[in-house]
Amino acid sequence: MSLLFRNRSIEKGASNRGRLPWWRRLIMVPVHHAQQAIASLGELWRNPFASFMTMAVLGLSLTLPSSLYVLVKNTSTIADNWQEASEVTLFLRKDLQQSEIDTLKTQTELSEGVESVRLIPKEQGLKEFKEQSGFGETLDYLSSNPLPDVLVVIPAESYRSPQRAEELLNRLEKQREVAYAKMDLEWLNRLQGILNLIEDILGALAVVLCLSVVLIVGNTIRLNILSKRDEIMVMKLVGATNAFIQRPFLYTGVWYGIIGGLVAWLATALLIWWVESAVVDLTELYETPFKLNGLTLGELLIIWAIAVGLGLAGSYLAVRRHIQSIEPE
Amino acid sequence: MIRFEQVSKTYRGGHQALSHVDFHVQPGEMAFLTGHSGAGKSTLLKLISLMERPTAGRVLINGHDLRKIKPSQVPYVRRDIGMIFQDHRLLMDKTVFDNVALPLIIEGYSVQEARKRVVAALEKVGIADKVKHYPKMLSGGEQQRVGIARAIVTKPPLLLADEPTGNLDPKLSMEIIRLFEEFNKVGVAVLIATHDLGLIARLRYRTLTLKDGRMINDGLEDSEL
Repeated sequence: MSLLFRNRSIEKGASNRGRLPWWRRLIMVPVHHAQQAIASLGELWRNPFASFMTMAVLGLSLTLPSSLYVLVKNTSTIADNWQEASEVTLFLRKDLQQSEIDTLKTQTELSEGVESVRLIPKEQGLKEFKEQSGFGETLDYLSSNPLPDVLVVIPAESYRSPQRAEELLNRLEKQREVAYAKMDLEWLNRLQGILNLIEDILGALAVVLCLSVVLIVGNTIRLNILSKRDEIMVMKLVGATNAFIQRPFLYTGVWYGIIGGLVAWLATALLIWWVESAVVDLTELYETPFKLNGLTLGELLIIWAIAVGLGLAGSYLAVRRHIQSIEPE
Repeated sequence: MIRFEQVSKTYRGGHQALSHVDFHVQPGEMAFLTGHSGAGKSTLLKLISLMERPTAGRVLINGHDLRKIKPSQVPYVRRDIGMIFQDHRLLMDKTVFDNVALPLIIEGYSVQEARKRVVAALEKVGIADKVKHYPKMLSGGEQQRVGIARAIVTKPPLLLADEPTGNLDPKLSMEIIRLFEEFNKVGVAVLIATHDLGLIARLRYRTLTLKDGRMINDGLEDSEL
């Protein structure tokens, strides 16, 4: 493109230069981008220490939010499981006849919002308590069975949410035969509250960390640009556009993101591996088999995309400000 | 080719580098621009290559008013002007080939496509054998030739040279000037700023003279005499 000499290509003598056909230029665009991307990678390789520091900062900054995310995700699944299986326990009065108990069971089975009812007679209750509590023979010294008969009510599908289950509980508790009813939802609500809080903190933390990553990458790229001040001036003198000069720096930012993303994966995987053994030990105490869910492929790709995005954003910020301001003297 | 109309340039801080400069260099003409240090030679060249903008008056290249050139268009204007500097302005960590190929790469040539032109340009300035060297390994005269090769590799219609012989001995200086003459013979307009009056005296080219920012002689009266 010649602004001043519109007919430059057909002027005689020195100006007689062959122009590339448009399709060659079109093909050259991706080829150029690839070349410059590889060239910036080579540039990183030549100065590995400074670039690795930036990439490590980028990666480790992403590790904290992503590990916290894994934690929240796993806790949420546990909470969800418990919420689903919520059951209402009815402790019956002790002065009931067996027939009254059977009637109550049938009645409860037929009432709205109940899926199934299981009776745990006091004898069975005592037997189970003996086996599991560890008091064992000591309980034989009791003169009478202190336990009440218990009805375990599983709510119907539509009554499993905390509010509906609470309604059911209140309704069942009003019956004459029931001493009291219990459904331990309080602590689930609290857990949910804590999870929400952690999620909020996680979000805020992620935003702050991402912002600092952008600034750190921006600063590294800025130093890169300033160290190449003379080169940039020469390029401007021979007619390079800002876009052309910017491109390698933007690619550098993208590489920071790509490698920083890998660092984040690695560090998160290590952290999860580290925590997992502790979690397994803990869940063994509760006799519930539990597997810590790591990051899925989709989530890994999202982290990667975020890392690349942050790298690009940081370099764009630096490039915008500094390439324009360097003018040949 | 280059036309100045009542051009003044005052730098920030009040230093007036040029005042009411008028002249016209024809297409395909070769001219010298001379004057003592600080007379405004460099400023004048900077106004042509858009490194500076005039405070008043207008500069035209090939009939185009440079005031109408937006900042985003400046790179394209510079691609039409080959520039040569006293300090060469070479990239010291790049080979001679990379230095000379730079303007072509910027225009979108691939390295393979650029190779032929780079070799041709280096042959023209007589250092085709130094293609893989680094500028540091070359003498001052050779470095200047690399700078010239870079300026002509895109075959621009206009060459500007700011003290191209500043650091060279008279023999080398004359060789460099002979190079410019060759380009001029194939139709390139050449404007050379120099304070080397001895050099100018040996050649019979139009000489524009600046003094304290004023054009005291635009070289045309002499030719009329």
